[in-house]
Amino acid sequence: MNIKKYIYSAFVFATVLSSCQKLEEKPYGLVNTSSFYKTEADANSALAYAYAILPEVGYYSRGYYIITELPTENLTQKGDAGVSNFELDEIRTTPTNADLDNLWTYLYRGIARANSVIANVPNVEGITPANKNQIIGEGYFLRALHNFNLVRMFGAVPLRTGVIADAEQVPMAKSSLSEIYNLIESDLKNAESLMSIAKNKEGRANKVAAQALLAKVYLHLASSKSYNSPGYAFVDDAEKKYTDAKTYAAKVINDQSVFGFTNTLVDIWNTALYKTAGSVNEHIFDAAVDRLGVREGEYTKLPNMFLGSDRPMSIPYNPSNATSPIINIGQGWNHFRTEAGHYNSYANTDRRKTDLIVSSYTNSGTVYNLDINSASRPFSRKFIDPGRDADKMNANSPIIRYSDILLIYAEAAGPSEGYSAVNRIRARAGLGDLPPSLSVKAFRDAVVLERAWELAFEGNRLFDLRRTNGMEKMAQDYGKTITSGAYFFPIPQRELDTNPLMKP
Amino acid sequence: MSRIFYIALTCFLFVLISADTVSAQQRTIRGNVVDEIAKPLPGVIISVKGENIQTSSDNNGNYTITLSGKSNILVFKMVGMITKEIAVLPTENTIRTSLLPDLKNLEEVVVVGYGTVRKSDLTGSVSTLKGSDLNRTPSASVDQLLQGKIPGVQVISGSGRPGAGATIRIRGTSSLNGSNSPLMVVDGFPWGDAGNLKQINPDDIESIEVLKDASSAAIYGSRGANGVILITTKKGKLGQSNISLSTLNTVSAMSAKPDLWRDAIDEATFANEAALTGGTPANQLPYLGEIRGGVYFPSIAELRGLDPSKPKWPHNTDWVDLVYRKPFSQSYTLTADGGSEKTKYAISGNYYKEEGLVIKNFYDRFATRLDLDQKLTDAINVGTNVILTYTKNNGVQVNADRTRVFPVYDDKGNYFRTSPTDFGHPLANANEVLNTSKTIDVLGTVYANAKITKWLQFRTQLSSKYGNSIGDVYEPSIVTFRGFESNGYGAINNFNTTELLTENYLTANKTFGKDHSINFVAGYSFQKFNTRTSDLIGNGFVNDNIQNENLSTAANRIIANGLSRSELASWFGRANYVFKDRYLFTLTARADGSSKFGSNNKWGYFPSGAVAWKANEEEFIKSLNVFSELKFRVSYGLTGNQGISPYQTLDRFGTARYFTGDGFQTGFGPGLSGANNEQGLTIVGGLGNNSLKWETTTSLDLGVDIGFMDQRFRLTIDYYNKNTDDLLRLRTIAPSSGFDEQWINDGEINNKGIEIGLNADIIRKSEFSWNVGVNFTRNRNKVISMGEKNRVDVGTLYELVRQRILTYTVGQPMFAYYGYKSNGIIQTVQEGIAAGLTGAAAQPGEIKYLDISGPNGTPDGVIDGNDRTIIGNPTPDFLYSFNTNLKYKRFDLSAQFYGIYGNDVFDFRKLTPSRQIMRWTPDNPSNEIPRANNTRGFLASDFFITDGSFLRIQNVTLGYNFKANPVKGIKSLRVFFSGNNLYTFTKFNPGFDAELGENGVNEGAYPRPRAISLGLNIGF
Repeated sequence: MNIKKYIYSAFVFATVLSSCQKLEEKPYGLVNTSSFYKTEADANSALAYAYAILPEVGYYSRGYYIITELPTENLTQKGDAGVSNFELDEIRTTPTNADLDNLWTYLYRGIARANSVIANVPNVEGITPANKNQIIGEGYFLRALHNFNLVRMFGAVPLRTGVIADAEQVPMAKSSLSEIYNLIESDLKNAESLMSIAKNKEGRANKVAAQALLAKVYLHLASSKSYNSPGYAFVDDAEKKYTDAKTYAAKVINDQSVFGFTNTLVDIWNTALYKTAGSVNEHIFDAAVDRLGVREGEYTKLPNMFLGSDRPMSIPYNPSNATSPIINIGQGWNHFRTEAGHYNSYANTDRRKTDLIVSSYTNSGTVYNLDINSASRPFSRKFIDPGRDADKMNANSPIIRYSDILLIYAEAAGPSEGYSAVNRIRARAGLGDLPPSLSVKAFRDAVVLERAWELAFEGNRLFDLRRTNGMEKMAQDYGKTITSGAYFFPIPQRELDTNPLMKP
Repeated sequence: MSRIFYIALTCFLFVLISADTVSAQQRTIRGNVVDEIAKPLPGVIISVKGENIQTSSDNNGNYTITLSGKSNILVFKMVGMITKEIAVLPTENTIRTSLLPDLKNLEEVVVVGYGTVRKSDLTGSVSTLKGSDLNRTPSASVDQLLQGKIPGVQVISGSGRPGAGATIRIRGTSSLNGSNSPLMVVDGFPWGDAGNLKQINPDDIESIEVLKDASSAAIYGSRGANGVILITTKKGKLGQSNISLSTLNTVSAMSAKPDLWRDAIDEATFANEAALTGGTPANQLPYLGEIRGGVYFPSIAELRGLDPSKPKWPHNTDWVDLVYRKPFSQSYTLTADGGSEKTKYAISGNYYKEEGLVIKNFYDRFATRLDLDQKLTDAINVGTNVILTYTKNNGVQVNADRTRVFPVYDDKGNYFRTSPTDFGHPLANANEVLNTSKTIDVLGTVYANAKITKWLQFRTQLSSKYGNSIGDVYEPSIVTFRGFESNGYGAINNFNTTELLTENYLTANKTFGKDHSINFVAGYSFQKFNTRTSDLIGNGFVNDNIQNENLSTAANRIIANGLSRSELASWFGRANYVFKDRYLFTLTARADGSSKFGSNNKWGYFPSGAVAWKANEEEFIKSLNVFSELKFRVSYGLTGNQGISPYQTLDRFGTARYFTGDGFQTGFGPGLSGANNEQGLTIVGGLGNNSLKWETTTSLDLGVDIGFMDQRFRLTIDYYNKNTDDLLRLRTIAPSSGFDEQWINDGEINNKGIEIGLNADIIRKSEFSWNVGVNFTRNRNKVISMGEKNRVDVGTLYELVRQRILTYTVGQPMFAYYGYKSNGIIQTVQEGIAAGLTGAAAQPGEIKYLDISGPNGTPDGVIDGNDRTIIGNPTPDFLYSFNTNLKYKRFDLSAQFYGIYGNDVFDFRKLTPSRQIMRWTPDNPSNEIPRANNTRGFLASDFFITDGSFLRIQNVTLGYNFKANPVKGIKSLRVFFSGNNLYTFTKFNPGFDAELGENGVNEGAYPRPRAISLGLNIGF
């Protein structure tokens, strides 16, 4: 009968429907482990993802500078910058400091991304060995950079070396400084051996970058031990580390021609020049951005942190050159404010002050002079983009530059071999040579001071002060009272609360 | 098959045997049936008692029936009317009669999930509302109209924007991160979250059933925890053929006069004073008669006309008049329905246009519906139900809070701007910004019912739902900030959703002997969800001429798209057993398998049980002669909430681009970026959890239904206790993992409360009736645990106080406010410093905050983050409403009052101009209103917290029913006036509507209009 047939077919229909679905999920539009790390393009993409953490707002486009510059005598901040900035500026950081939490998070995100390159790219097939090595080497380089930043900021921290696939892998205890530096050293040596010497592309690391970073790491260890900086008693032989630093800095100076010295200071900070291969070869490694980016992190707003907020500004491109063209640099937020202690420490003829710090500008023909003791102060013009598209700018964040390596070489080599390197830096700034025949200590102190001027606002000064046991003296000179976080910042509370193996 | 035949035969014999065998002569009786106001009643079933003869009345209430001669008793039956029996005298050939409405309601049939049940046989907590009981006022969806109608159901309509939906909560909120909205089911199709059922014309609704307890909602399993609202649309009825038109024309106005500056002088004086206090040098105050940024700002003297060198300032713009209007809204519904033995149909079309109070704001809807049921054989009927809706929403939200000092247009006729970055011009925004969205929704269902035996039925249903919306946006470069930043911003936003549902179930109804009756439902359902989005965005346009019509002309173009898919497979069943018509038992269960659940927890099981006792059927109660109904109910069971977004169980990669000189390289890897947290940090998820599952709510319901005096007084009381655990929660994980959070099941929330519904037919006569209903709802909500955290800040970060104010706090109701305590206004600097304040915040005239704690848990003489505590909560103590209905002859009058009591409001708009006038000054040492200061850093404090209780005259309707056939061609005519949102009794900020969103934060929402409507119902 009809009814029976009908009901029967309906049941069949229902059963068919129920059996053809398995309630399985395939995430649409989302890539995940099961579908990735298969091809050379995947490997390149995994590496691009690892690099993309660098110019994020929380890292080299803002966060890194807030944390490394405010506690020094270089910069202070605007009045409504928030409590976290003030804590840093006044060296009274707490575990709930939002800026520290932020950077901590970005550093570990960077490590997770680098780990996914290191762990997965070796298994990718159909890729030329040279490219495979290069990609893995860059992964090691990035992991070392993040860990070096972490250990210099926070001291003993968890050392993440694997990919996290399950929440059970999250709890992890701290490693000692010694273990962390061992990994940094081995990662950089791996990176050095895996990468090629040719400059890859803008914003990517090569063999030279690994050597340069390793020189920096060795110098940090050597001087920390030598100056009895807190936490570095584990380093067994400071002199050996100075030698290592010198060796690696020498490799950068002598064994390659990809990077080199730039004669005119302002050219170092000319995005049009340093982004063009062969023009300015100062930047051994930087975090690259471009105005065509669609979100901050792809472009940068970092210059706005420095630039005055009163009105759009025009300045001469090179104040040391009377015929230099005028460039428009727009206006910013006046967030970072140059501290008088730093500004007044330069010699008056030091081009790093006269050419790289804007003390007067014009707007519609009117000249405005900036007073170091007012709200609108002279500001660094290392971070500018005259071609800015509203707030979209292409000023890369410098991470290691050739001048840094010259100064590392000088400091590591000491007075016996270091004079010419540091005097080369001084000459470019329009200054005479350092006094000859300085003692080893006096010479190294002089180089560290030279670094304060040459590398000002680039996130080096805090670590130079820390590794030379100089935080107290800086604070004293500047009238600050250290409450907490002079040599190592406190581990963020969020990590303490959520990582059961972690102790403050 | 032979078994079916055997059963049919048995039944047939039974009918034969029981039939009276007296024989007499056949004759035909004609007649007419009307209701209590003499309106013809179509569709009345007229049968001969004891015989298999029946007919139904036609559109004019006329009928013809043949008496076989065996019986001479006619039975007149109609749902909702008292059944009448009339013995026909041998001499009579015409029987005219009237039926009275049945107010007992006990025989009424109530829709429950996958079936119906007699109201008197309900074991769970189910409330019913007829479509005709909804208020007649413009409403884009039925959701708002449920407000105050059903105990235990809270309806919050936080905005008066045309087309805005409502927030519906049944028995409190029980999910931290999942949805708290009940499941809306339309004619058996699970539509999704309740809140904005814009696709259904409220005029098309026959009845609304609300399933509140576990026993009734468990049939919807993992979607039942928030309760279920069943909407049944009107169907064609046997023996009728109606064509009707109903219209509603409405004029609205602001219900609360906005509290804004009444003149430019006060406003400018205040601005100068606030700037001066705030540290602006005296020669740089705003209103000094100087040019600032190219715009001339007059001095106070000039505004007053007291500056001898200048004419009196000519401008004092009243923005309220320019921004707001008295909107006119319309709704027309044309319906044709009817039915014969074989075919029943209902067709309707609706046009609805709602104008907003704000200029250019409107909402349009065209809705059509077809419902068709065809009997193929005696055993099989098939049918279809098709709903097609088009809506259009237009306009931007602007307000009238702009300075009165400046004109609307400059001397060139352009919108006047106070600076090159002035993006607050309401007329420029309303007139120049394109913001429309258009939607098309289609729901199609085909079904077949087959009677396998007399007591066993099979139903199969196939539904598909399609929804499409297109948003058009264009913001010119000089009108909005986004437009300015992008140099013209244009976008097309597409949203597309399809769902497919198949349901197959068997229903058995069987009575064994006199005492046992069983009703049984069992079936299988499978639903597929598919949502697809795409956004096309262009930045940087040469000019604003073609808006978003050609995005390829934009300098930068961004495209984004997404798709989410999920599947839900379910087995469900329910057994009702009635013993001796007084002991009722119900067992319900559903098993849900969802693709959204983790691989370790694919299937969830939701059983429930209920017992009811109709004590009024017991002799000892009957003998009391007090109760016409006395029923005790108990139910207990599990329901679920599957508020997981798809793909949360899997690891998902993030994507980012890196610039390498020759362009951006796209990267993929671990860490999926989500929203930003309070500090602006992007929160990263993407770590999978293959144990992720539904939230489980365990609820107990104790209820009693009492009726007195032949059901003239009816009282329903329910107590419930709902415990929700396995809460879906984002657990914060150690950031050193590279992830910040992960979805897990953890945490517990409790809701308990009491609901009372009281109905009284105070007067019940055929020409005069008066009915009163009272609803009372009290819910206590409490967060019991949230894993490692005792407090989670949720919601928006409010710029003014630079923190989030809403929290989930253990031991508190959800959304408890977190902030500082305040105690009036500082009168002396010493007082300010003693209070722990410093600098400008310690000056006289500032708000005095209380130092209640410090880093060590004791007051430390400093006002800082440690001094924050729970300072209030937006959850009301109780809700109440009052409905009354009065009918006298052809007139009817109904009214509804609705109120909530004991809720806090966080009133960011507390400092209204009328209060600023009374601000602290050295001459007026106010302890209520702080001094004028435009750089004050407000703290989130109880200074902003106000009692939000209110009682509103929600609706008053006066109607008149004309006598039948008032005009040739018109069968029936009803005219009514309806006033909505007429008056609100409240102590809340007088410039604003007291009804706010669920979080109770007043930021000056779109005002709700007061509406006066004229309606017509015409039957042809």
